[in-house]
Amino acid sequence: MLDNLFADLPNRLNTGILILDKNFNILMWNRFLEVHANKSDKQVIGKSIFTIFPELPRKWFERKLSSVIQLKNQTFCGWEQRHHLFELSHSRPITTDSDFMAQNCTFLPIEVEGEVERICILIEDVTDVCHYQTQLNKALNELALSNRIDGLTQAFNRKHWEECLASEFSRATRYKQELALVMLDLDQFKLLNDTYGHQGGDKVLIETTEVINELLRMGDLFGRYGGEEFAVILPNTELTGAYDVAERIRKTIENNAIEYQGKNINVTVSIGIAVMNEYDTRYEDIISRADIALYKAKNSGRNQVCVAKERSVS
Amino acid sequence: MSTRVLICDDSNLARKQVLRSLPENLSTDVQLAKDGQEALDILRNQHIDILFLDLTMPIIDGLGVLQALKDEEINLPVFVISADVQPEMQNRVLALGAKAFLRKPMQLDTLNEHLKSHGFL
Amino acid sequence: MNAFDLTEDQHDCLQELINVAMGQASDQLARYLDTFVYLKVPSIEQVRSELLFDSLNHDLKATSIVSQGFFGYEGIRGEALLMYQPLDSSRLADLLGYEADELSFDEQMIDLSSILTTTFLNVFASQIDNQMSYSAPRLLSTNLNTINQHIQQQSFNWDYALKVRISYQVTDYSFNCDMVLLIPEEAISNIKAVIDRILADF
Repeated sequence: MLDNLFADLPNRLNTGILILDKNFNILMWNRFLEVHANKSDKQVIGKSIFTIFPELPRKWFERKLSSVIQLKNQTFCGWEQRHHLFELSHSRPITTDSDFMAQNCTFLPIEVEGEVERICILIEDVTDVCHYQTQLNKALNELALSNRIDGLTQAFNRKHWEECLASEFSRATRYKQELALVMLDLDQFKLLNDTYGHQGGDKVLIETTEVINELLRMGDLFGRYGGEEFAVILPNTELTGAYDVAERIRKTIENNAIEYQGKNINVTVSIGIAVMNEYDTRYEDIISRADIALYKAKNSGRNQVCVAKERSVS
Repeated sequence: MSTRVLICDDSNLARKQVLRSLPENLSTDVQLAKDGQEALDILRNQHIDILFLDLTMPIIDGLGVLQALKDEEINLPVFVISADVQPEMQNRVLALGAKAFLRKPMQLDTLNEHLKSHGFL
Repeated sequence: MNAFDLTEDQHDCLQELINVAMGQASDQLARYLDTFVYLKVPSIEQVRSELLFDSLNHDLKATSIVSQGFFGYEGIRGEALLMYQPLDSSRLADLLGYEADELSFDEQMIDLSSILTTTFLNVFASQIDNQMSYSAPRLLSTNLNTINQHIQQQSFNWDYALKVRISYQVTDYSFNCDMVLLIPEEAISNIKAVIDRILADF
């Protein structure tokens, strides 16, 4: 009675069981595999596993099995490193986007008088685990991203931008590289808000961000520093390079009319730039020099670029 | 006259294991050493008929003992009993003049075979 | 001295069991990898759980850690941590039979870890008439901070752990790694019972 039950047990398990001989021929499999591979016993028993599952990475698989035979050890293959080994259907084809069953496989040696004669492969369906873990990772990544960006403009937020500057500053110091900073502020933004309303102002902020983004290189770090103030970190850039970038930003914004409710809004920016020098001991020093240059640009009539002094006057 | 035996191993348990495995005629006059230095001190001053030698030991290891015996022309049969059983290690040990290489944990049959072939049984 | 300290005889016995297991495991490994494995005398020490992290951190220049649980009869269980220093991944890939287009470094490390852990512990278990089962190995992290977090979390339910540290150095293939077996308090007393039984035989 109990013997019968045990004999039937492998066919009731929700785990695949596959037994191979040392030449990789299939000696036995259970119902779980029969169903999920959608092949009958007749097609499979006695055949090479590479014929039945041509998707197997042959060299790797043979080496894996040779370790089981030679070392008499069990070994594993998990979904996190290899989503699946066998192309099997799974039980959640509708509610997950997985084509094949995600698997945890265990390879067990079966010894006959001290020698490994057979290998048992256990195949667990972990599509569920994989699905939820993937979603969790995605959510965590999105969360990490949203911690870094400004919701309105999608530029880096001030906190993340300052962290970037801190690390670029120490990198430039360590490797004696150039580093330039561009700070810019939209001219008469308060007036613009009063004229077009906050939604108009928001549209200007969003479009300005887009315009600036297109002018930057990979590796430049662009953030929204405050209300209508933006800042760009330019690694490996000396003064003329930074000045070119700033001038290009200024001109492009000046010539770019922003359409809002059938009207064109024209905006300009004032820009201050600073290049890192030996007097800058902290990253804040270079910000304050660029800031002073920015206010000089404002006070000299706006829509222009000003270069910071080497040392800020205290 | 009984056979004079020296067992050199840093592990107390391992020394006892060897001692217990020895046939009666070899277990009457046994000295113990817990590293290669102690073993060499004894071998330089006394006549020993057979040495059971571990390899991985502090101060002077088994290979060091074999080398010293060779350099100082102290001739006696040495049976190495080692946890390191890689073929390369066996070759090194035998090249240095050891008469037998026994794996840990030691098999009684193998020990007796070697003792027999060297005339101790 | 606390209740879990090993006596000199117990320590000696455990050390010898580990030496023998390590010797045989290295032999199997050397044959499988077709190379020579250098053996260093393994170190055994008892660490308080709150100091475990410091003690690992001190040993470690590791860049990645793989963890694998093991459990046998008589309540002998623990967690093996395989700690790798930066290694040459293309040699390792070759060693484990990976094709050039499927270089998954994480998977290789996990493969290798599983081989190291199970070869060693199987021999260790057979010496004490036991048999081990293993959980699937997991890459804890390739980042030390997360490893610290993991270990700190793990430590909460242990007061003491036995730390067995084994270094593998493999010629021909450039990888060095340390295996640290962390054995919780309860399992230590189970191991001590087994050791005492062996000692009583002598």
